[in-house]
Order: sequence, then structure tokens, then C-alpha cells
Amino acid sequence: MMWRDVGVTLILSLILPVVAQGARHTPPGKPKLTSCRSPDKETFTCWWEAGSDGGRPTTYSLFYHKENSETVYECPDYHTAGANSCFFNKNETSIWVNYNITVVATNALGNNFSDPVDVDVVYIVQPHTPENVTVGVLEDEDGPFLRVSWEPPRKADTRSGWITLIYELRVKLEEAEEWEEHRAGQQKMFNIFSLHSGGVYMVQVRCKPDHGFWSEWSTASYVKVPDYIPRERSMWILIAVFSAFIFLILTWIITLNRSSVKHCLLPPVPGPKIKGFDQQLLKKGKPEEVFNSLVVQSFPPRSTDYEDLLVEYLEVYVNEKQELMPEGKDLRDVGCLKSKSQSDNDSGRGSCDSHTLLMEKCGGVESKDESSYEEPELLQGQAGSWERLERGDSQVVDTPDSSDARVKTWPLVFSPSIHGSSDNHHYGTLEMPKQHSTSEITYSVPDHLFPTSTSFPHHHHPEYRDSLGEYSEYRHSRSPSTGVLYHWEAQHHPQAHSNFNIRNLERQKEATGLGLPPSRSMEYVEVQKVNQENQLVLKPLSSHGRGPSQVQFGRAVVDYSKVNGVNNDNVLLLQRQREMAEAGQYCDYREKEGAEAERYPTQQQGKTTKDGPVATQLQESTCLTTSGYVDTVPTMPTF
Amino acid sequence: LLTLSLPVSVLLLAGERILASAAPICVHGQAGCHFLSLADLFDRVIQHSARMHSISSDLHSEFEQYVLPSRNHIGRINRHCHTATILTPNGKENAQRLAREELTEVILKLLVAWKDPLWQFHQNMVHQDDFNNFSSNKALEMSYMVHELRKGVEKVADKMQHLGMISNSLSGLSSPEALDTSSDTSGESQAMSDHDLLYCFRRDSNKVQNYLKILKCRIVPENGC
Repeated sequence: MMWRDVGVTLILSLILPVVAQGARHTPPGKPKLTSCRSPDKETFTCWWEAGSDGGRPTTYSLFYHKENSETVYECPDYHTAGANSCFFNKNETSIWVNYNITVVATNALGNNFSDPVDVDVVYIVQPHTPENVTVGVLEDEDGPFLRVSWEPPRKADTRSGWITLIYELRVKLEEAEEWEEHRAGQQKMFNIFSLHSGGVYMVQVRCKPDHGFWSEWSTASYVKVPDYIPRERSMWILIAVFSAFIFLILTWIITLNRSSVKHCLLPPVPGPKIKGFDQQLLKKGKPEEVFNSLVVQSFPPRSTDYEDLLVEYLEVYVNEKQELMPEGKDLRDVGCLKSKSQSDNDSGRGSCDSHTLLMEKCGGVESKDESSYEEPELLQGQAGSWERLERGDSQVVDTPDSSDARVKTWPLVFSPSIHGSSDNHHYGTLEMPKQHSTSEITYSVPDHLFPTSTSFPHHHHPEYRDSLGEYSEYRHSRSPSTGVLYHWEAQHHPQAHSNFNIRNLERQKEATGLGLPPSRSMEYVEVQKVNQENQLVLKPLSSHGRGPSQVQFGRAVVDYSKVNGVNNDNVLLLQRQREMAEAGQYCDYREKEGAEAERYPTQQQGKTTKDGPVATQLQESTCLTTSGYVDTVPTMPTF
Repeated sequence: LLTLSLPVSVLLLAGERILASAAPICVHGQAGCHFLSLADLFDRVIQHSARMHSISSDLHSEFEQYVLPSRNHIGRINRHCHTATILTPNGKENAQRLAREELTEVILKLLVAWKDPLWQFHQNMVHQDDFNNFSSNKALEMSYMVHELRKGVEKVADKMQHLGMISNSLSGLSSPEALDTSSDTSGESQAMSDHDLLYCFRRDSNKVQNYLKILKCRIVPENGC
């Protein structure tokens, strides 16, 4: 039994594979129609792919039926188009008819139908490639170009209008990667421009019906473009060369005329044109000198209205030295009535104001300090009037050194800037020309002080006359009139310089010649004229026969009233003092404005300066010596 | 009356970009009117038919893409175009065998047959949501083009008749034929679905275009043939 089982098993094992093998044969797999194409819209071909064959030889057959018809037809031609294809010839092809096509795979075990496909021939047209593609190189004025021409595929009937084809071509250089495509429409010829000279081009053409598929590209046609220079490039080369040439010429010309071009493009900056301005001096770095040089001599401009420049009388007198000296000393002791303006150059004030006498003394003290100061020559005990006007440094110069002559320093009028002014104004010495018989005192006054056009008003103050034996006349006199006393009105020009230096032209010794009493006598000087150099040419009144016998050198007779000061109204504040100088030291001196002293309106200052001249205020501290005379109070403009 | 109508027709002709059907053709070369050669006329009608066919193809594609998936395809096999009764050549030889007059007649028949259905289709589409406005405009344009193309082909036929190229047997094509065809196909056209209509029209517009090309290359084969 066991052997039989084994045998059956063996047999079964032998048979089963055979049986099983027979079982592997299956009906064929499902075929599939891949595509149907018509090259000319008159015939068409369908292709299919086979499924698995199931192990048995499988046959494929294609069946179709037209739309709205149940008649099934089988493919007429399986061979023309190759394996697994079905070719429909003209007789069997209907256009605008829907074909329903099915492929059946059959083998011994069964068959298998593919999915049906609807085909309308009109929409499956794919022509062959265009034929006779020719490419040629042609020349025209712009250069060479390619002309491509072709013909429609043979099978497509375009002549009857049955098929309408549109074409497309593509071009590239042989070594290039990308194609350049062009649509050519229905034309059978095309031109390609802008070629690379010496390059080899490849051209291909294809076509398509108006509703259909593109054909394959035709085989490439090669063409070589001959070498040439593009006209456009040659023109640019010419332009570039020409412009470079012109540029070189221009550069050369400009280089030759470098300086003039530079002058034209970058005009030199004009330097400052200031009169008196010295650039070299500026470069050296001394501003003071530079600015000093800027001071024009004619500046400040001369005012045409010299009315403002009221100059009081210059009182020139010579005091006895002995008398004066102590006074001077007193003065010094007390303190010099020095105008404060000494330190203030800008004030233009006379260094000493009206207490000129006093100031003189003071000035005399200071004067020694003045470097630029010249020792005035003093009339020694003579009546020569010495005036030494210090220059505007507000230094009242006084040189009381000399013995008897008392030098009164007139407060200098103005000031400070006189430094730069002409040297004429520097000194304060009174020089007396020896040769002159008459003593002339030259006062150098700035122009503005004595404008020639105006004349100072002439005033008399009778009061003074009465009180004073010797009257001090306050007269404004510009041009040399008989006025002796000058009252300088404050200058309205800030830079009115009180540079008058009164030069005492007389020497002391000569003063005697004048007949002037020595020392303590006072002499009136008459301004004769103002010479060119703004110098007052004074003449002692004695020489001219002074009117009033002012020259009273007798001290006792003389009764002068001291000027206390000048108030803001340009009023001289006189101090009534009858005492002799030695007798009383009245330091009644008051402040200007608040002075209790009687006010005597000084001579009217013609016109007060526009700025409101202010007489230099007498210093409080100073105490007038009892000189008993009235000095002219130069009103110094306070600026 | 003719002189008055001529300037108006010239203006209309100038404005007509696609088809010169509105203006009378100066077949006799009268002064003051624009003379169009037969070849020009053919070119114009062929261009017009090409545009008509492209619109119909677009509409059909849209329909198949957006609308059809929701419906089944069972009815496709039994598609029946209302113009099936019109005998049309189905091949090149068949078309070439037809006489010029017959070919022209077929063209005209087809164009006449589609005027009303297309108008109806457009009306239906406006009320439906299947199509967007763009498609609706295409449908409208399609129906308008059919009308214009028919008039253009009639002009061409007139010209050909004047030129003696065809006989005068076409004169009876206007209203009686139209009535007949419309009456014949009216019932059937109502049964057509929209998809079938579009399918049928696409095909028929292609036929018209093709027939015109054949006619042109047979009669005036100068350019493009």
C-alpha cells in the first residue's frame, strides 16, 4: 500500500506540472490601441500594443464600425503598416465619420477585447516631413542671409485645397545648443538674417495641417556662411576712430592753452581791494598794523557841517611858573584831572576836559610818561602861551617842567586813533618859531574840527566879561578870527581826534618879545588861520592888538571863573571864584550835572554835535585849584 | 436707388473686417464701389469659416472638459446630427467629383441648417449654468458667424455666376431651401443634446471650410493651392 501511495504521488507529481502547465495558458491579455494617424486625410493607420499573450500564440484582429451603423468590419490590411497595425485605404476611409475601433486578441484559450476608440480621421492628420529642404546663402546690401525653401510632403494634397499645411523651421549654429524657431505660415520659403560670419548653420523644417499634428522635423541641412564684416560694425569702427582722433586733437589744444583755459573756467578770485590794506602785512600776522593801515587819513569823512564842530576858544595863557607850579603840584597831589579818557582811546574826549588848567598840570605829569610826547617848550615866565596839546591819547600833556611857563595842556580833543594819523598830530609841543615876531601858535586840529566851510559862531558872554577882568571869551572861531578861546565842541565824529597839537611856536624867550608878561600872565591867542595841515595858526592877541585888554598878566586883576564842568547841555558850569588861585582852594568842584555852581551857559556851541556832545565831565575827585580863571572848556564829545 | 445704396455699401464693406458680405460687389466694375476679385472673396470667406470652426472647437473642448464628466457617454454612439440628411461628400474624391454648383449648394445648405439651432443653443446657454460668460459669448458669436458666412458664400456664388463659372441653378437656394431644411431638421434638432450639437457643429464647420477651400482651388487656384 505504501508503495502504491508513493507511486501515485510520483505520478501525480509528474502529471500535475504538465497539467498545471497547461493551466498557465490563459486568454491573451488586453490589447491596447496606441494611436491612429492619417498622413494625408485620405488613409489612416492604427497601431496597437499587445497585452500578455497568455502563453499561447495569440492573434490580433481589429474590428470597427462606423457611426450610426451597426455593421462591423474588420481591418482590411494588417501588413502594410507593419506589425500590430491596421491600414485603412482610401476606399475604406471616410472623412467626417466617426470610427469605433476595437482590437481583439485571440488565442487558443480565449480572446480579449481592447477598449474601443473613437476616431475621426479629420482630427488625426499628421503629415510627413516637408521635402526638398534647400538652404542657400544670398547677398544683399546688408550682408549675407540664408534662404530656406522646401516642398510639402508628397502625400499631402495641398494643391486641391484638401489639406492646408502650415510650416515651421528652426535654425542654429552647429556648435550652439538652442534652436531658433520660426513660423513660416503657408509659405514654402523663408529668409534668415543677421548671421555670424563664417559660421555653419543647421536648418530643419516641419509642417502641420490646420487641425492636426506636427510632422517630424526634416533632416538637418547644413550651410556655411562666408566671412564678411558687417557694415554696421564697420561704420561704428569708423566713427570710433574718428571721434578718438578728434578727442586727441582737443586734448592737445587744451594742453597747449592750459593757462588760458584754466583762467576761463576757474576765474581767479579777486582779492580784496581795500585802500591801505596790505596783504603782505596781513600775511605776516600783525593785525594791529594792518588795521592801523586801514585807517584812512581822510576818514572820518569831513563833515560839511562844521557847525557841529564847535570849538571854543582856545585859551592860551602863560602862567607864572611859581604860581602854577604849586598848583601843578597841587594838582598832582590832588590828582590829576585827567580825563578818564586817557585810558579810553575811543572816547575822543579830550583827555582833559575843561579844567584845562588843571589838566595841564595833570597832563604835565602824565605827559612825561608819554612816549610820543614832546616836551613842550615852555615859556619861561613869559606870557607866552604855551599850549601843548597832547594828542588825542587823551593825555593831557603838560609840561610843567619848565619853569615858569605853564603849559596848559589842552585836553585833547579826540583821540586815540591819532596814533596812526599823521605825525603832525603827535606832538604836543608848542613850538614857537623863533623867527616870528609874533608868536604864532599853531594848532593842529583835525580837519573835522575845523571845517573850512563853517565858522564857529562867535559868542560873547558878557557875564564873563564882567566878572572877569579878563574876559574869557568863548568864541567859536574856526578860521582865525580874533577869538582866542576856543571851545571845542564835542565832535560828532567818533574819531574826532583831538589831535590838535598846539604848537607853541613861540619860545619862551620869544614870548617876551611879544611883550607878554612873564609867567602868570595870560595871553590870548588869536587864531589866525588854519593852515593846510590843520594847524591853527595862532597869533597872540597882543600882536594883533587884542581887542579887549584881556591880557592882563596881573594876576590879581584877573578874575577868572573856573569852569566846574560842562553839563549835558553843554553848559559850562562855572565856578565863581574870585579868589586868587592861591587864595582859595575851592574844591567846589562839583559834579557836572549836579553842580550847584552857577551855570553859565557857555557859549553856545553853534550846533551841538549831533551826538550830543558831552563835555567831558570833570572828575569829581579832582579839585580845582584856585586858579581863578576860566578856562575854555573843551567839550569833548563823549563817544 | 442703386447710387444711394452704393456709398452705404462701401462704408459697410470697409467696416466689415471678416466678411464682405454686407456690401454689394461690383461685379461689373462700376465706378465708386470697391472691387473685390473672386480670389479675395474666397479668401475672406475661407478666413471666416476658419474662425468659425476654431470657435466651435473651443466650445466643444470646454464642454467635454467641464460638463461632460458629470454625464455618461452612452448616448455618444447614437449621436445623430440633424444635418445628416444633407448629403455631403465624405472624401476628397467624392468632393472633387461634385460640380461647383453642387459643392456650393452643399455649403449653403449646411450653413442654412445651422442658423436656428445655434441661436437656440445660445439662448439655452444663457439660462444654464453649465457655461460661463465667455462660452456664452462664443456661442453668440458662432451663431452670428454662421449667418454672416452664409451671406458671404451667397455673394461668392453670385460672383461666380456673374463670371460664368457656375450656372444659375443656385438662384433657388434662398428661402425655399432654407424653409425646407429647417422644417426637415427642426424636429431632430430639438432632440440633440448640447454636447451632440457642439460635436455636430464642429464637424460641419470643418466641412464648410474644407469645401470652400476645394472650391477656391478649383476655381481660383492662384494663391495657396
